Amino acid sequence: MKWNNIQTMSYDEADALLERYYDGLTTGEEEKRLRLFLSQPVLPARFEPEQAIFGYFHTSKAKLVFSIRPYMRWAGGVAALLLLTVGLQWFAHSVRATNYAWVNGNRITNTADIKREALASIGDVSAGNEIQQSLDNVSGHEIMEQQLEVFSELEK
Amino acid sequence: MKSIKTNLILLLIAVWGLSSTVNAQSDLQISKAFEQYGQRNGVVMVELTDEALGDYDFALFRSLTITNNPTAADFIRKCLTRDEVGARKVKQVVTNGVPTTVYLQLPRKGKLYRLILFNETNKQEHKVTLIYIESETDSEDILKFILKKK
Repeated sequence: MKWNNIQTMSYDEADALLERYYDGLTTGEEEKRLRLFLSQPVLPARFEPEQAIFGYFHTSKAKLVFSIRPYMRWAGGVAALLLLTVGLQWFAHSVRATNYAWVNGNRITNTADIKREALASIGDVSAGNEIQQSLDNVSGHEIMEQQLEVFSELEK
Repeated sequence: MKSIKTNLILLLIAVWGLSSTVNAQSDLQISKAFEQYGQRNGVVMVELTDEALGDYDFALFRSLTITNNPTAADFIRKCLTRDEVGARKVKQVVTNGVPTTVYLQLPRKGKLYRLILFNETNKQEHKVTLIYIESETDSEDILKFILKKK
């Protein structure tokens, strides 16, 4: 008599029960015992069909293996593109980050001279004193004089 | 199909990268004035990047001063009529029906405030001045600095 590892029943007993199962003579309790017996991982090969029937057939599940290889090409392309973008940005910034002035068609790169020209242009753009002129034009004193002049002409 | 999609995505990213290298002024019409007049005789063009003028730091300062060229003034005015769309007109002086001073506060580009300043005078000589400023400093503060410089 051979005993299995879990000792639910012996192999001979299992064989006998399986015969009764195929004949449709097993009770619920007996089928339970059979299910328990067939759930063991290590059983003789002759029980494999029954394990399949009872849903305990040992199928080798595919191991989930994560492989980076399919992503490497994509990652390489993205990395190259990012490098290109950063390189372009750096280049554009370095080109842009130069100070210069053109005076009558001549290029100047001395920063002090350039700043002087910049400040001069600021002075030019803010040179308009139109507000003060406007205020001067409507000064009360002038208006009064003009109005009085009208009356003095009438009196003549 | 998959490779086409991938290439398309990569191309879009490349275009984005290239477009981000273009500075904020390139969308403005006044950039044409700098291109057209900047290196001519009788013109002073200045470009400063990440420099301080006075107490203020400018990310970008560009100016154009053109003497004895009324055509240039008209050209710049035409550029300004396009660039002022969406902008706030801080100051405008009109002389004989023609704008001779225009200060525009443009919509911000990211964290940068942007200003366009234009002035035309005809005192001792005909002079047109155009300035474009990008700065992280508030426009109001920059204008105070500008207006103090007389």
